[in-house]
Amino acid sequence: MALRTWASSTANAFRISHASKSHPFPAFCLSRCFSTVLDGLKYASSHEWVKHEGAVATIGITDHAQDHLGEVVFVELPEAGGSISQGGSFGAVESVKATSDVNSPISGEIVEVNTKLTESPGLINSKPYEDGWMIKVKPSNTSELEAMMGPKEYTKFCEEEDASH
Amino acid sequence: MRVSRSLEVWKMGTINYLDALRLQEQLVSNRKAHKIPDTLLSLQHPPTYTLGKRRTDHNLLIPESDLKKMGAELHYTQRGGDITFHGPHQAILYPIISLRDIGLGARNYVEKLELTMIELASLYGVKACAGQAGETGVWVGERKIGAIGVRISFGITSHGLAFNIDPDLNYFKHIVPCGIANKEVTSLRKETDLVLPAEEVVHEQLISCFARQFGYSNLLWKENGLIS
Repeated sequence: MALRTWASSTANAFRISHASKSHPFPAFCLSRCFSTVLDGLKYASSHEWVKHEGAVATIGITDHAQDHLGEVVFVELPEAGGSISQGGSFGAVESVKATSDVNSPISGEIVEVNTKLTESPGLINSKPYEDGWMIKVKPSNTSELEAMMGPKEYTKFCEEEDASH
Repeated sequence: MRVSRSLEVWKMGTINYLDALRLQEQLVSNRKAHKIPDTLLSLQHPPTYTLGKRRTDHNLLIPESDLKKMGAELHYTQRGGDITFHGPHQAILYPIISLRDIGLGARNYVEKLELTMIELASLYGVKACAGQAGETGVWVGERKIGAIGVRISFGITSHGLAFNIDPDLNYFKHIVPCGIANKEVTSLRKETDLVLPAEEVVHEQLISCFARQFGYSNLLWKENGLIS
């Protein structure tokens, strides 16, 4: 078996949204947990985000999700060309000796996967909304996108989730 | 508002790795469908080596055929973590619980698994601690006493932790345990000055530590398929 080396990521850092200058979208600040939530994206209750641009939707996991995972050391992604259904698992990430399945909030055809994550899994921690994107999908049912949460709803969802425990 | 939370505890004795894996898959599916409450399997395995999702079999130092000759099995799994050994006199817990229901992410879940084993060790005067970053598990100084490897699917956990009560540590010589070279593996027997009670007692203490860490106030004990 080939020996695989993993790029180790930087340590997790809590980031306050207004401190980051590279976000293309304005950000909301979660006062309680300091996770970043971006405007212009849609969010799932399982903490994935979707950016819909034209015929393609990009999917990744949120800042809140990566913070709760810990340092990501391994990412498993599907092959491009396959299809995915809403709620189905399309891959997994490993952190702190735990593999966590990642589920797609929408159905469609996988047109591209982020191969950078093989060598640099830590991009999911450091840039969850940018270079840490996971797959791009041609959505087969845009009403699934419309039903997802917007940034304000998702922010409230995270606050309620964290407060209730 | 704290609700009384129930945990169904299955005491399984020694069970073959694949049988335990199939049982976990069924339980995860049932837990996801809300057919069962949070469930904890308490068991040990016959001599078994396992690998995680990253398939780091370069950390197996002898050919697989040699493992068979010594009566050990090898299994590739979907859990996180590197290569490890399970065998008699090692206490294993496989929690099948909903992380979403208790509001834990992977990192906090694993920390509580570490604390479960740290608390058990402290009952015997052994000062254990969690590993440094990248070395998840439980250590006594530079020696590893407890290992963790977890799978989370739809927010439901499977696999779990393994705590060395008094396994034959020679089995660990055939692997780079957890992919960490130059660090020893140890056991409760080696680290404590106290006389250990019957292993069943230690298994029950481990279960109690788990229940305390995770806030389960109501335990339903199940042995041989019967709830007692």
